[in-house]
Amino acid sequence: MVSTVQNTDVKQKESDHAVVVAVASRAVFEPEAQGGDNVYAEGVAFPLLQALQKVNERLLEENSAESLLFDIVLITTDSQQQQQSSHLISSTKHYGLEVSRFCFSTEEDFIESLLQNNVQLFLSTDRNEVSQTSQKGVLSALLDEYTTSCPSEQLRVLFCGDAVIRPDTNPTPASRQAAQSFSAQLGKMRQRFGMSDSPLSIVLMTSCGGRDSCGGALRTLRSLGISVDEAYCLAGSPRGPILSVLRPHFVLSDCFSGLED
Amino acid sequence: MVKMSLDPVQVMSGQVTELKVAPSSNGDSRGSWEEKEEFDQDHLGLTAKPKPPKPENAVTIAVSSRVLFRTEREQKVFEQKGVEEYLRYQIEHENEPFAPGPAFPFVKALEAVNSRLRELYPQSEELFDIVLVTYNHAHVGIRLINTINHHNLFIERFCMTGGSSPIGYLKAWHTNLYLSADADKVREALAEGIAAATMFMPEKLTEVSQSQLRVAFDGDAVLFSDESERIFKAHGLDKFFEHERENEDTLLDHGPLKGFLEALGKLQKKFYAKGHRLDCPIRTFLVTARSAASSGIRALKTLRAWGLEIDEALFLAGAPKGPMLEKIRPHIYFDDQMFHVEGAAEMGTIAAHVPYGIAQKHNAKQNTGVRK
Repeated sequence: MVSTVQNTDVKQKESDHAVVVAVASRAVFEPEAQGGDNVYAEGVAFPLLQALQKVNERLLEENSAESLLFDIVLITTDSQQQQQSSHLISSTKHYGLEVSRFCFSTEEDFIESLLQNNVQLFLSTDRNEVSQTSQKGVLSALLDEYTTSCPSEQLRVLFCGDAVIRPDTNPTPASRQAAQSFSAQLGKMRQRFGMSDSPLSIVLMTSCGGRDSCGGALRTLRSLGISVDEAYCLAGSPRGPILSVLRPHFVLSDCFSGLED
Repeated sequence: MVKMSLDPVQVMSGQVTELKVAPSSNGDSRGSWEEKEEFDQDHLGLTAKPKPPKPENAVTIAVSSRVLFRTEREQKVFEQKGVEEYLRYQIEHENEPFAPGPAFPFVKALEAVNSRLRELYPQSEELFDIVLVTYNHAHVGIRLINTINHHNLFIERFCMTGGSSPIGYLKAWHTNLYLSADADKVREALAEGIAAATMFMPEKLTEVSQSQLRVAFDGDAVLFSDESERIFKAHGLDKFFEHERENEDTLLDHGPLKGFLEALGKLQKKFYAKGHRLDCPIRTFLVTARSAASSGIRALKTLRAWGLEIDEALFLAGAPKGPMLEKIRPHIYFDDQMFHVEGAAEMGTIAAHVPYGIAQKHNAKQNTGVRK
């Protein structure tokens, strides 16, 4: 059973134009560690939410009638958390998070709730959840402990430009389509800002291939209407050190599968 | 001596990367990336290019786009019309390759050394690895890649930071030397312990060797610390001589480019090991205002104690460096004093400024008689 609760503190976004991003509430709050007044402590995805809000804030500064905004939804599948739904809602309001609605569902039908809410990007710290949603054609990305050290003033999205070969899961045409359409909207959002001082930075990284592989990825993204701010071509050098300087909030890789050599 | 042919398949088979299939989900976490091995597409033999070495094994030279290529016209657009117009201009001219800049001959010489190293040691990753590190926007990316292709340079790694500091990436790539046109970035790198220098385009360029990498260094405040220069600046030449004589057997402290000389020395030894001492494709020079009979002794003793060989040491005893450098024709000459850098450039030598030490507090165009 899926139930949705609107956050009355936040103005609802226009459903046709907004980019709906669903984040697992488990990633946003630490249910274990409670602060006083039944307010949850901040989770790993806190800077991410702040960065998404920053983008919205700046978009509205540029154009107060802007409708291409992030529409943030918190998804809860954990039955324990659902029983404490009031804590979730009050915590969200306490921190002033720009969450439009809360979705409560069981693990069985949470994908349905994503589809019902027209979710274009799903973010979670749970590997299985991300894998399942991905296979059902919803663009998903995994958040991890690094997310917590990402900046809160600028949303940094990393496009992985060469296919990292995953053994079991081949991105379906549906998920590729989802990736491209989300990315295109991201590209449009990016266009609203100038070259410097943008609250959104689009980063491309190619890990294995050489410069031509990166050049190809740049061209592919350009054809999707996405202009890249930063590009890193690793040609086999270890990703860890570079990623810890880059600090992306999340990584998208499905745009390129199938298009790559 | 049998010359080994550069058969690409043979070269790559010695560098097999294991395909470790990790049971990961579609959404990859960044943390787990470090553990997983990559399936290297190059390994399929799809490209005839040799695989770039691991950064920790290689001597990594990071160059910025403004020193590798000539970008004066674009710089002007940026300065006069702002960043949006600059990027628009770059995209418009995307298919026009840039002309070679001051670091270009140096990079070509590094590649020549690499070819010789690959012939002698086909399995080894102890090579030069040239990385393009620029704070340019990725909009310029395609033009830069086109230019690299046009000039047939072997540069497979780059980072375009879109305006943020490249220093973190220099460290991540174990950079041994960073060359840039921006003195502030160079100073930042030096502060982080990375050898770095600012390069300038000389008005005329003398021809340099295509087959032998020739690198020249000033001594004080480049290979060595600036301690002796401080004495000279504070107390004059006599005091300097006295100090050097008294401390002849005390080693000088190391300067910012000592590590780079060391890295060159390691590669030189690889050539010597295969009988190529006389025709070694790397040659190093010390060009110092110290004099051979007195203050130079301390410098030589220090180098020897460090286990560093320098091929030619030229003690000028205060004479101008320009004519000597013109004869040496290095691919790059490192000096801490702009006076010398400019003097070298006037005579067609590609000189790089190391903004380190006490000399930075003095005006570059200071008029002097005898300079240390």
